[in-house]
Amino acid sequence: MKKIDLHIHTIATVSDKAFDFDLSKLKEYTEKLEIDAIAITNHNVFDFKQYNEIVKELDIAVFPGIEIDLERGHLLLIADNKDLSEINDFAKKCERVSALINTKDDYITLEQFNEIFTVLDKFLLIPHYQKNPIISNDIISQIKTLVSSGEVSSYKKFKTCIKDQESLVPVIFSDTRYFSTMKNFSTQQTFVDLKEITLNGIKSCLTDKQKVFLTKEEGNDFFQATDDGLMLSTGLNVILGERSTGKTVTLEKIFYNHENVKYIEQFSLLQNDKQKFEELLSRRHSSVSEEFLTEFKQVIDSVKNIDEKQNELEIENYLESLLKYASDNEKADAFSNTKLFSESLFTKKDLLSLKNLISATKLLKENSDYKNIINKHITDESLESLEIDLMKEYIRVEEINLKKDWVNNLISKVKDELRFRTSSTVPEEVDFYRIMVEKDKIKKFNKIVNDLKIETEIDRKEIRGFKIVAFTKNFTSATHLKKVCKRQISLIQTFSNYNLPFKFLKSLQNIDIEETELYKFFIDIEYKTLNKLGFEVSGGERSEFNLLHEINDALKHEMLLIDEPESSFDNIFLKNEVNSLLRDISKSIPVIIVTHNSTVGASIKPNYIACTKREIENGTIIYKTFSGHPADIHLKSVTGEIINNYDVILNCLEAGNDEYNKRREETYDILKN
Amino acid sequence: MNIIKEEKKHMIYLKIEDNKGYFLKQEKEQADKWVEIDKILKEDLMNLLESAISTDFEMDEYLEEKIGHKAHQIVYKSIYEKFLDFINDKKSFIDECDAQFSSAIAKYESLL
Repeated sequence: MKKIDLHIHTIATVSDKAFDFDLSKLKEYTEKLEIDAIAITNHNVFDFKQYNEIVKELDIAVFPGIEIDLERGHLLLIADNKDLSEINDFAKKCERVSALINTKDDYITLEQFNEIFTVLDKFLLIPHYQKNPIISNDIISQIKTLVSSGEVSSYKKFKTCIKDQESLVPVIFSDTRYFSTMKNFSTQQTFVDLKEITLNGIKSCLTDKQKVFLTKEEGNDFFQATDDGLMLSTGLNVILGERSTGKTVTLEKIFYNHENVKYIEQFSLLQNDKQKFEELLSRRHSSVSEEFLTEFKQVIDSVKNIDEKQNELEIENYLESLLKYASDNEKADAFSNTKLFSESLFTKKDLLSLKNLISATKLLKENSDYKNIINKHITDESLESLEIDLMKEYIRVEEINLKKDWVNNLISKVKDELRFRTSSTVPEEVDFYRIMVEKDKIKKFNKIVNDLKIETEIDRKEIRGFKIVAFTKNFTSATHLKKVCKRQISLIQTFSNYNLPFKFLKSLQNIDIEETELYKFFIDIEYKTLNKLGFEVSGGERSEFNLLHEINDALKHEMLLIDEPESSFDNIFLKNEVNSLLRDISKSIPVIIVTHNSTVGASIKPNYIACTKREIENGTIIYKTFSGHPADIHLKSVTGEIINNYDVILNCLEAGNDEYNKRREETYDILKN
Repeated sequence: MNIIKEEKKHMIYLKIEDNKGYFLKQEKEQADKWVEIDKILKEDLMNLLESAISTDFEMDEYLEEKIGHKAHQIVYKSIYEKFLDFINDKKSFIDECDAQFSSAIAKYESLL
């Protein structure tokens, strides 16, 4: 069995964060993790000189490779390391790739790829498969050689691919950059069933799912959790240990060694403060509020620029100037007496509804999903002629509008000329149509806000017996309104208009509330969490709810770490709810629990247990981890030391054998009798 | 827009009589009455616009020779033309208003 890591970065390219490669760290990594072969795969570049330096320094097989941005995905292309002229030829091909990629968003097309790498059979090709950015199956199928394996990003995906007959052979690699200050090494490598490392040997293994593993001896039910050799189950693990023996440190190591890990830290779930809990709920469920207010946001956008007073003023000016001009008529001179002097401008026809109709017809015409239903009522020919007729009408009206524009320009020009030569008042213009449309908008806006203000439940979700209810609530004071105001300003004056929606909107604008925030000031959305009996949750229940929520959320991650869940829960809750939930989740992703609690530690029936110990050897503190199956008599350390499993369990979960017996005999039995 | 819920009224709002122009003044709790066009106020204009939307708004056609009073001629002509434009666009106005915020109204009304 050989351990390989064919995805290693040694050069900071445009696609990487800046780092200074440290060869000694790479050497330390390969030695500490006992790796048998690596491939140097930098983004779109192969540095032959650096490759030679690495080969000289390391005592293991080092393959030349490149990670290519291909059709917006990533592809590892690895060459053989036996023939120098072949590596030279590979380097030249890589130079052509480098020339095509200048920014992190550039990629080469499949056509360019095929043109550069004309003979692909001699290389090992591994696309990002269940790992971002992926190379799609469509592209994989078009690559002109056998692509049998694909890179995955987690143990969960590795195991899924192994079980799935249709998927590629999974491989998991570190994909890491090596620099002098790095503290932990990745533990993501793949074992291949091979006696001697050759590229062809690896290629052959990567065509067979029976020949790739997560561990050397334990198949795919285990993985290496930390770089100091701790193996854990891909199912449910419990880490035990007395205080200050390195349990939390171990969890943190696992957290930093892996990507997309959910880590629920100790005490992080305690929720005694009701207000903070409600804020947390609001944040978690902000999508409910946003979705509820989507349409209202659009309404605000449409009315926020309406100036009701300006509209009234326009009507007033029009009328005043008209009446004045009419009454001055007797004094009219040759200029103000001309017909054009008092002529109104033409009103242009608004084409918005016609435009919408044309789009709607196009939508009907081009829809393929519901074509059968549409065609049952309207034929394609009818839709086609409807679209043509609407377009003709559009052109006709647009033409009239253009003519009106031309005439209006002319009238305005003549009126301006006449105005300079007379003392008569010029009748002002007014657009009744726009003013009335805006008036209707305000009326509807007021109605919508009044409808919104009728307090009601808008959403209800259930999480394992708890219900989260979202409901609308009117703002009751300026202080309450501050909840949605990001700035420190007085809202007292503004709030006095709360019951007059449009006026309220204008007063919010007057105090410079950001336009994108305006919609939040009309109605408050609150969340309540109810327990199984339908009552609002207590302090303890809030913490329980939080834990269940966080554990549920873990399924979006690749691994769950949870540090002493017992810190704030009673045993009944842990046993009835938490244990079963954690067991369920461990069927999908590895779960690692640190605990002192016998309800969690012993009753949860883990797949694997680990125990941390602190020992002092020659005046130095040494942390050790022992692990094994729950039924094993002994737990073993990486160096082969053993400790008694039964003792560990009793010491860590029951405060030792004597205490356990005492408690059982003197407390429980007496109570029982 | 659902404005025309009542029985449609056919009414005349601008008329020419005895060489003068008149508009129908509508005041709350008072019977409508005819008032000379040069006495029109902005509130009257707003009332007329509301009526133009909600009723079959009719007006005497502007003919210069029918209005002897010069000032009435100017005011009547301007208002008549504005209303004529508005009434010609009434269908698009109602379509536009009907479409306005329709999804928001439907969504929030359904909560009631």
